[in-house]
Formats: sequence, C-alpha cells, structure tokens
Amino acid sequence: MISIPKKGTPERNRLIATHKECIESMKGVPGCTIMKCETPGDTTVVSGGFQDDPLLNKVLIRMRTAMPGNFGGKLVVICTKVDKEWRIGRLAGVRGVPPTFVNDKVYDNEQDPQHDIFLMRLDELDEEDGFPEHFNEGWKRRDDHWTVT
Amino acid sequence: MCAMRITGYADKFGVNPGKTIKFHVNCDGPKKYNCQIVKMIHGDTNPRGPGLIEENIDANCNGEYNGRPQTIYSGSYGYVEDNSHLQVESFTMQCWIWPTTPKTHPKYWRHGAQGLMTKWSNGKGYGLFINEEGCLELRINGTSITTGAPIRDHAWNFVAATFDAVTGEAKLYHEPQIQYALDPDIPPVTKIISDKIEHTAGVPFAVAAYAGGADSSPQAQASRPAGMVMAGHYNGKIDSPRLCRSALSREEIETMKLGAQPGLTERRHCGPTGPLSEAMVGTWDFSDGINTRRGTDHGPYLYHLDIINCPTRAMTGHNFSGHNFDWKHAEKEYGAIHFHDDDIDDARWDVDFEWNVPEGTSSKFYAAKLTTDEGDEDYVTFWVVPEVGKEQSKIAFMVPTISYMAYANEHLANNAGGAELLVYRVPIMQDQNMFLSEHREYGGSIYDTHTDGSGLCLSSRLRPILSIRPKYDHFLMQAPWQYPADLHLIYWLEEMGYEYDCIMDEDTNYDGLARLENYNVIITGSHPEHNSGPQLDALHNYTQQGGRLMYMGADAWYWIHSYHPAYEDLGRGVITEMRRCESGIRTWRADPGEYYHQGTGELGGMWRYRGRYLHSVAGTGMSSEGFDISSYYSRTYESNDPRISWAFDGIDYDEKIGNFGLVGGGAAGTELDIVDTMLGSPPHTLVGATSAGRHTEAYLLVMEDYGFSQQGIDGTQHPRVRSDIAFHETPNGGGCFAFSSIAFCGSLPWNNGKNNISTLVGNVLNRFMQDGPLPDAPKDAYIHRGRADYDPAMNKARK
Repeated sequence: MISIPKKGTPERNRLIATHKECIESMKGVPGCTIMKCETPGDTTVVSGGFQDDPLLNKVLIRMRTAMPGNFGGKLVVICTKVDKEWRIGRLAGVRGVPPTFVNDKVYDNEQDPQHDIFLMRLDELDEEDGFPEHFNEGWKRRDDHWTVT
Repeated sequence: MCAMRITGYADKFGVNPGKTIKFHVNCDGPKKYNCQIVKMIHGDTNPRGPGLIEENIDANCNGEYNGRPQTIYSGSYGYVEDNSHLQVESFTMQCWIWPTTPKTHPKYWRHGAQGLMTKWSNGKGYGLFINEEGCLELRINGTSITTGAPIRDHAWNFVAATFDAVTGEAKLYHEPQIQYALDPDIPPVTKIISDKIEHTAGVPFAVAAYAGGADSSPQAQASRPAGMVMAGHYNGKIDSPRLCRSALSREEIETMKLGAQPGLTERRHCGPTGPLSEAMVGTWDFSDGINTRRGTDHGPYLYHLDIINCPTRAMTGHNFSGHNFDWKHAEKEYGAIHFHDDDIDDARWDVDFEWNVPEGTSSKFYAAKLTTDEGDEDYVTFWVVPEVGKEQSKIAFMVPTISYMAYANEHLANNAGGAELLVYRVPIMQDQNMFLSEHREYGGSIYDTHTDGSGLCLSSRLRPILSIRPKYDHFLMQAPWQYPADLHLIYWLEEMGYEYDCIMDEDTNYDGLARLENYNVIITGSHPEHNSGPQLDALHNYTQQGGRLMYMGADAWYWIHSYHPAYEDLGRGVITEMRRCESGIRTWRADPGEYYHQGTGELGGMWRYRGRYLHSVAGTGMSSEGFDISSYYSRTYESNDPRISWAFDGIDYDEKIGNFGLVGGGAAGTELDIVDTMLGSPPHTLVGATSAGRHTEAYLLVMEDYGFSQQGIDGTQHPRVRSDIAFHETPNGGGCFAFSSIAFCGSLPWNNGKNNISTLVGNVLNRFMQDGPLPDAPKDAYIHRGRADYDPAMNKARK
C-alpha cells in the first residue's frame, strides 16, 4: 500500500499545496473534487489535482477507505446551519451512536473543512499499512481498515 | 448535539381533492407548534439558485397545536396474546437460530439480552434468550441458566430448553449445525430450580423479543400489543420454533423438529407422534404465510403469531439445499424469518390534525410546515393528486415515490465507510443525518444495512422520512437529491407558467394505463430508479399508444420493486420491497436463495435480469456514475436531423449546453445514461447531445456492463462514461425524450430559468404537450435497422 509522505518532505508539502489550491477553486461548486477549476466555482474546465498527481490520488484513496470506527472515528463534515455553517466531526463506528465534534472551529463554507480533514489525516494515518508485518486477525473478518459495503 | 425535536408523517403521500389527509406529529419538548400548509416550489437553499420558495395555502388545519412526544417502537417480533395454554407449568422450547449480533458493543443502541422465545417480563415467566455475553440462556422467573458458550454468529445453531415442574429440572441445549475441528463440545446444562413459573397476566408469548413491561403513557399505544413495550429485540434468523407443555427428552426433542403433521385418515393427531401431539402448545411454520403478517401455528390451538414491524421473510432456513431459489417452489426450505431490531412497518402514531382538501385544489407539491417559537421546524411533504378522469392539466409529473421510499432515512454517510470512496471527498452530514444516527428506530433506507449489518430490503412510508424534505442536501452530491432535486424541475414548471398535475408511482402501479392515458405528456423525476412491474407496464402501454414521456434524469427503471400486499389495508403502497441480487450498483448483496420478494413472490434484482432492459422504457439506460462534480453537453451531428433538430431551436451548434447548475455545477453529472440499441434502446433513437470525454476519474462504468475487475472504466478513459440526450418516436404519434443525467434538472433553475437547458426542455415540452399525435417523421426515416449492425457502411470503412 502507498506510504504517507513524512512530515516536512517535499512530497508532503506538494500534496498539501495542491489540495489547498483545488479546494480553494471549488468554492461555490455544489459538489467537490480534488481538482482545480480554471475559473473558480465553475466546473466547465477542471484539471490537475488527483488526476495529475498519482501520489495525491493514492494517499486520498488510503484516507477514504477507512471504516467508520477506524483511527478513533472517521472524520466527517457536519453542516450545522444550512448553507451557512459547517464543523468537523468523527463518526462513532457504532450503530445508534451519533458523530461527535472534534473541536469548536466553525467554517463559513463547505469546502475548507475538506482541506483541514486532509491535514488531520496526514498526521493520523500510519505511514505504512497493508504489508505482511501489519497483519492482524481483523484481516480475516473485514476489519482491515479497508472499507466494505 | 443537533436534534430535530419535531418530526411527522402523513397517512398518505397523495390525496385527492375532496378527501382528507391525516398528519402524525412528534413534538418532543416544545409545548406548542404551528402548522401551515404550503405549496412547495423550490427547496434548494444554494445561494446561486432562486432559494427556498413556498406559498402559504389557506387550510382548515392551519394553526397552533399542543406538542406531545410520539415514539417509534421499532424492532420486529411475533407475539401471541396471553392465554392459559401459554401459562405452562413445565415446558420445552426449541428452535433453530442464525444470530447476526449475539454479542453487541456496550454502546450499541440496543445492547443487552435478546429474546428468542419468551413469555417473560421483569423477572417472571419463562424464556429462551441470548444473554449480554452472547451465550444461550434460559430464564425461569429470576433464575437463569447458561451454557457459557458464545454462540457463533452468522451460523445455524439448534437450541432447546426444558423444564419439569415436578422434579424442578431445567435443561439447556445448544447444538451448532457445523462443528469445526477445534470447536469445544457444548454439553447440555442442567440445573434444579425449585420455583414454580410465575405468570404475569397480559404478558404475551413472543418470538424474537420479550415484554419489557406495561406502559400507561399515551405514546405506548403505538407499541404492539398496545400499551406493552417490547424489549430485547433479536437480530438474526429464527426457524421452526416449537413450544410444548412438558419437559421432553432429547430424543423427543429431535422428533419434535418434525413439527406438526397434517391430519389424515391414518394420522388423526397434529404431532409427529401421538404423545407429542398431546404435549404440543404451538409449532410455528414461517414458510407458511410468507407474504402475510402472520407466523402460522400448525399446532392444535392455531396460536398464530402477529408479526410486527415487517421482518424479512422468504429467508433460507437451516435446511436450505440450494436447489431452488424460489420459495414458492421450495417452501419447506424457507422456514426462517430474519428479525432486526430496527425493522419498522408503521410508526402507529396518533393523528394530530387532518386537512380536508377542498374540491378544486390544484394538484401540486405540498407540505405541512411545522414550526415552533423556539426555532424547530419540519416539513411533512405530500401531494394533491386528481382522481383518474378528473385530470387538471395536459402535463403530469410522475412523482417517484418508490424511489423516495428506497432512499428514505438513509444512513450511508454515517455507517458506510465506502461512502467516501464513492463521492471522492469527505461526506457532509446535516441535521437529518445527525438525528437519524441516534434514532435508529426511524428505520433506514434500502441503501442501508440494518443495525446487524444485513441488507435492508423493505421500506415503509408510515414513518417520518427526513430525506423527503426541502433544504436537505444529500452527501452524494453536496446538493439536493430525489425530492428536493425534483423541486428544481417544479420551480422551472412554475416559473415558465406551465399547468401540471402530480401523480404518484403508487397510482400508476395500482391504476395502470388509466392513470397516464389522459395526459399528453408524462414528466419523470430526476432519479426514478425504483419501479414496480405494473408501473413499467403502464409506461410502455402509454408510449406505445401515442403517449409522450420526458425522462428528466438517469439511472431509472433499474430495480424491481413490489408493494407488500399484506399492508394494503392501510393504503396504497405502504411498504415497498427490493432485493439486491446478482448484479447492479449494490450497497449490499442478497445471500444465495434470497432473491425472491416475500410480498409478491416475484424475482427481485435488476429489471435487466428479468429481461426488461432499462433502455427500453425511455430510450437510454444507466452506464456510469460519479459524484464529485458535473460537466456539460455538446450537440452531435445527429442533432441536425429534422426528427430532433426542433429540440435545439435557439441553441447554437457549438454552444456548451448546461455548463452550470445546482447539482455538481453542470447538467451532466452524478449518474449517467446512454443509448445502447443492444440493451433495449430502439434502433431509430437519435442522440442529440452527449457529455462524452468530459467526466473525471470519479465516474466509473456500471459493473453490470463488464465481467472482469479491470482498468479503463473511468470517465477519462471509457467511451461509455457519458450522458446521451436522446429522442425516439413511439407508435401512434408518441415519443420519448431522455435527458439522461440526474444532475440535469439542477440546471433548470439557473439564472431563474433563463439558460440553454431551459430552452431545450421548453422546446421538448411545448411539442410533447400538444393535443394529437406528434408530427410524423420524414418518409426517408422509415428504413430497416438492426440492433448491433447499425451502420454497415462505416463499419466496412474501418480498418
């Protein structure tokens, strides 16, 4: 499985910068992808981002695969006032238990939390995963940090 | 955290003018709430669109009401009212179980012991349970016996318990069907209990739960039996429960597995043997009455169980042989019911108010807007629908209520880790999602798995459905989906001044062609994915007889649905059923042998695998899906064909069509349909515009279109990842126009309806809504066409 680039490395800095640039360009789009709108908020022409950076693509996929209860609860965006306010929360991973907020930070747009979650996950994820040395019994029971439906 | 303190539902989706619609409201906290009937026009609060638009309607139910809490008592079980035969002194209980959550997380919403067969409450009575540690447990009053052996989940286990009131001997058996090499033996456990069984009057005999206790609160009247709140809901299958009034030997228990035997000249008792027939109190056969709300007792007293909250039936039993997947032809192998603690068939709430809809009320989208002075709010959505023969317009919008029910109260963002892989970003949850995440009793959608992880295949409309609401963005697109997305189209119809009626999926299902034939044109919703057979029959009959169909979305006519016949006494289309079978986009997959509907007995899954390709209904069918952002269309050379060119009047050939919108930022997005004459598109179908080549890697080909897990299926590579705007004529002056993208309608409100998507749809609607047949195609269009062999000249030219 792809490694998460170490803190301070040029690779990690590149991923962060690209992600931020894409997210900034997506403000105003009713939707979001980690690509850059040529005209901010307009998806007529989009390019770059995960489609042009294989490392960014694979790191994002590793982040997205986690099960709801992994890493202390999968991070999620929660809209607290429709079209006005958003916060970051963690899923409980237990049915019937609601998500909880991770902090008090309130966002005024729905795209910025995407970038902050990207930064949090870069810190939270194990650098390496998915090799024989990471084997545990959960691999036999769909508890291998790889999501299933 | 967030909480919706006011929720509600109506007793029907569609109400005729002159009839009454009843509303059921839970107002948990505020002393008062206000009701205002509103006509719904636009439900998307995106600041780049027209915003929320609703109109107050004078109604005799408008006004202030006293708030009161109402509770949903979810979780399926069967029960028999208390009676003297069930108040046994000695007993044998036995059944097969296939538990799915024998042991739950301490924070699980219904953590605790689960009842298998019980007539027990508050330390009195008898019952067979799975205890909190996941082991089999017998309870006699306050005394319990357990094997101490954790029960294997997702596996068949035979369990039994006996009690002899004379000797006081209680015995417990737990016998797994499969014995793996290193499984320890589980010997029977015996204990002497000097107590006599204490019976509490009114405590029912229950299967898959136990009586939590009598509750005199008004809301407990919604439980069944009314006023008795059930607890210990079991997750998993139960097969062949039997209750006897004596302590049988192990050999007799084995014989009792045979259950009741039908009486004949040579066999004049109900049991497998004469003596066992005398011991028998009840022997339930769940393969009998699979399409009912009854657990049939073949024993002497006919103590049929009332089955509450619609568990999943037509489930393979402990003896499934794999030779026959249709329960109608192998009934004895379908003796299992799968119970779930979050099953819900009917909230059974009291009525708070009702609206006598005046004659002459316009057929439109409506809602009872419920508000409190403290800022609480909910919209109970419904439609006014003209009776057949009293149509008000030439245009009908066919509200995709089966699809709304399929998506009802979905939990994917919260529960499905894969949600993020699907949408290529982090999902955004709203108040409705937060509320549902801790109120599992509101039930889930057919996209969800139950709280025990098994597929959810039944959805009721008699409960608050928080996804059929304005101001609700779905995590799939960070934008409206289904109901609020269809309001994009409604806004456009209103803004452009069209007169239109609203008809429901259920009306087309029950009334057939009669519901459609008095309209010149039927307009679909943005995503009518889920359909019953009678509905598709009606649509085909309609277009074949000259009717016009405007298919405004994509991924339609995909899944087989049927309404459960056992709920028709409560109204039309109360519960819809679907099975996710061998292929298609599946958030869960049915187990082998569980493909047939319990309600109608028909084969479930995709219509495609019943020989009814989706492309045959309106000309296009689903090819791909992606949920990050949307794109736009360009005209093809076929758009210049006079058979279709009229639709593009006012749109330049090189114009970008729909590079704007409120769903993904473009008209071509989310789920996409294409023309395929090999999959049911008529060979004369014209493609006027396509979005080919413009989608991101997040768009992937549908899995039913390829056989290997393979590369090259995304929007930057695969030619089938596109949306085709297509037209074909049907006989007798009819026609189908397919816009083929779920995001499409999201472009209609852009710039208050002044845009080229609006021009295109307007051209089509203006032509389709006219009286009489459509103009005939040019004579040279009448040519022989193959399905695969569509363009021999060009094929020959290829090298």
